[in-house]
Amino acid sequence: MKDILMGNDAIALALIHAGVDMVSGYPGTPSSEILGNFQKYKTKFGVEAYAQWATNEKVGFEVAYAGAIAGKKTCATMKQVGLNVASDALMSASYIGLKGAMLLISADDPGFHSSQTEQDSRSFAKFAKIPVLDPATPAEAYNMVKLGIKISEKFETIVMLRPVMRVCHAREICDVDDKLDFKPNTGEFKRDIPRFAAVPPAGRFRQGLEQFERLELIKEFNWSEFIKPQIKNLNKSKILCLTSGTGHGYVKECVGEMNIKADILKFDMPYPLPKEKIEALFEHYEKVIVFEETYPCIEEQLSSPKLYGKLNGTVHKIDEFSKDKVLNAFVNAKVVESSDNYKNAKYDKELPVRPPNLCPGCPHRDIYYSIMKVFKKKKSIYPSDIGCYTLGLNQGAIDTVLCMGGAVSMASGFSIADPNKTVVATLGDSTFMHSGVSPLINAVYQNHKFILLIMDNSTTAMTGRQTTPQRSNPGTIDIKKLVEGCGVECHEYIYEPNLDKTISFLKMLQKKYEEATGPVVAVMREFCILDKERSSAMLPRIYAKVDEDKCVACDICTTQYKCPPMHYNENHKIEIDPFLCVGCSACIDDLCPTGAFEKVEESVK
Amino acid sequence: MKYQVVIAGIGGQGAVFLVKVLSIAASLNDQKCLGTENHGMSQRGGQVSCYVKVGDFYSPAIDQGQADLLIALEGNEALRNIQYLKRDGGTIIVNADENFPKTEYETIKIDAFSKAKNREFPIQALNVYMLGVTLARDSHFPFSQENIEEAIRVMNPKVAEQNIGVLHLAIKDAKGIV
Repeated sequence: MKDILMGNDAIALALIHAGVDMVSGYPGTPSSEILGNFQKYKTKFGVEAYAQWATNEKVGFEVAYAGAIAGKKTCATMKQVGLNVASDALMSASYIGLKGAMLLISADDPGFHSSQTEQDSRSFAKFAKIPVLDPATPAEAYNMVKLGIKISEKFETIVMLRPVMRVCHAREICDVDDKLDFKPNTGEFKRDIPRFAAVPPAGRFRQGLEQFERLELIKEFNWSEFIKPQIKNLNKSKILCLTSGTGHGYVKECVGEMNIKADILKFDMPYPLPKEKIEALFEHYEKVIVFEETYPCIEEQLSSPKLYGKLNGTVHKIDEFSKDKVLNAFVNAKVVESSDNYKNAKYDKELPVRPPNLCPGCPHRDIYYSIMKVFKKKKSIYPSDIGCYTLGLNQGAIDTVLCMGGAVSMASGFSIADPNKTVVATLGDSTFMHSGVSPLINAVYQNHKFILLIMDNSTTAMTGRQTTPQRSNPGTIDIKKLVEGCGVECHEYIYEPNLDKTISFLKMLQKKYEEATGPVVAVMREFCILDKERSSAMLPRIYAKVDEDKCVACDICTTQYKCPPMHYNENHKIEIDPFLCVGCSACIDDLCPTGAFEKVEESVK
Repeated sequence: MKYQVVIAGIGGQGAVFLVKVLSIAASLNDQKCLGTENHGMSQRGGQVSCYVKVGDFYSPAIDQGQADLLIALEGNEALRNIQYLKRDGGTIIVNADENFPKTEYETIKIDAFSKAKNREFPIQALNVYMLGVTLARDSHFPFSQENIEEAIRVMNPKVAEQNIGVLHLAIKDAKGIV
């Protein structure tokens, strides 16, 4: 059956078709839709399966891994930086192996579209000594999920699938199974203490040797299954391109469009590679160029004086591929003359920039505006964290962004290192549950004095509004109780689109901070404007317009508040885009010093 | 046949919806199709661009100088993406008023914002409106009106008739512009 699918949709459907019945993970762009789509298919097909978000990637990985030890077919989903969090578990699990099957999906983001690093999960698979499959398109991802589960079963190892953003968020017509032959795997944990509780050094030493033996078998499999069938296409020119994943598509198109005489050998499993057998293929060639995103994972496994790639500067080292970059590599390797085929002039005048911004009507904007009013820049440090609220950068209310939960521990560090400043840290509810609790315990434990605002919109907003522990278990899991459990009072602010009220609350916290000996914590109860279930009741739908006679073009709204509908018109007066305004009403009473914002009587919406 | 389309707009205008419609239309025609989206970190209000490649392609991204057509839901986003157009024969279909600057590309501009302000169609259907303009004015567009209407029905039957109404309005409006 042919179906047009987004990569993450194809992956989810393939998981069901592969008989996976336990999926656990944590959202992160570009991986997030995999688990959500699995849930949809699960309901659609009426299959019995566990598919739920975990509090973080490590937890998600461990849940899925235990399932695989107990004989089930499982999957853990995350983005590449999430794999850093799960890596502690992965490194040991790779020694131990499993009984059922487990696919670890770690989605990469070449080009930093929505990630803080460009790290290559394939290199992490190499570090952990597990095989990795690298799909080039959604249709390939579909097939590789099913194959990955088979490889995992066959070799009793975790298998990684590494789709990049251009696979996860690409759409393609995919050939998928017509019939669903889904049998849930009955799990049964069979005690094997020497294996599952191997004690160092002897137990782990033995498993380490087994791991090497396993890798040799997988290299053989890689050769016979993926590489050998392509040999008939080789030896037709003097240039060999080694490709993997999305790199393959760019190379194939560029070679075709530019009439470059080159053979292409694609590595579906870029690790582990049968090095000697691959290098023997180089004999016929003058040059071998490696095209891969983003680290030299293949390149580092091979050695030959004919090899060209990132390590000798032939191929670019950072950013995602383009055909222009592929062409450039051919030019650098002196295969073709330089060409401007993939270049064209940009518009030559300056265009207004649209930096990533909080949505119109987002309550975070009011909080950040108020922070800047109460805690002056010169006397404050503002650590923040990973989430939509990172976009508070636009309002100058964020000084550091590191990693999930980093705001809380960095607030501790700044309070020690620069005690004359007030540290005002912000992080979201999902991030707090993910990695914010243990640093808060640490801050109470060591009496670190700072202000922490937990901006609770009860959803994992940035990745597409996945559910959170608190949202799914109202009244049972609660941030306020959690903070109190860490040993500190939790102040609570119920958000209203009223800047005076928000500022007053922060002033109260400032007083508490002056008297405090440890952290001062508040939960800001907000909502996400895109989360219709909650925002429809909370949005007043009072739209704003500007009285041009009152506007003095003072810039306060465009430099400090920065709501996207506000902009200057041809009269150099502020104007509100009626299509972008969501009617939160927050700007109307307290924002403009001359009171130029007023209610619209009849909205165009 | 190979045809490459860049769709540009602002987050919330429904550029991604157009990728879905065009990919469904391609699949209904039994054509190969690859699409992708670029939308950075903003949920709403940021710059969004999407690519649709119909025909024998292996990578979803579009390089500079390659696109046959640029559909822009807003004027500045059109200008921000003109480098993706083919130097010869690239077409711009843009929602912009008479101030949209002259470029070297064939340009069809229509002030859809003012039509929405006059309540001629709901602003949520801006994307479908611009698709209608494309159908009416891009003679190389590889999809027929029937084809697109069927794709809109496949995508979401509940709101299909309303969307098709906007499509018809746009086709009528676009035939009248110079």
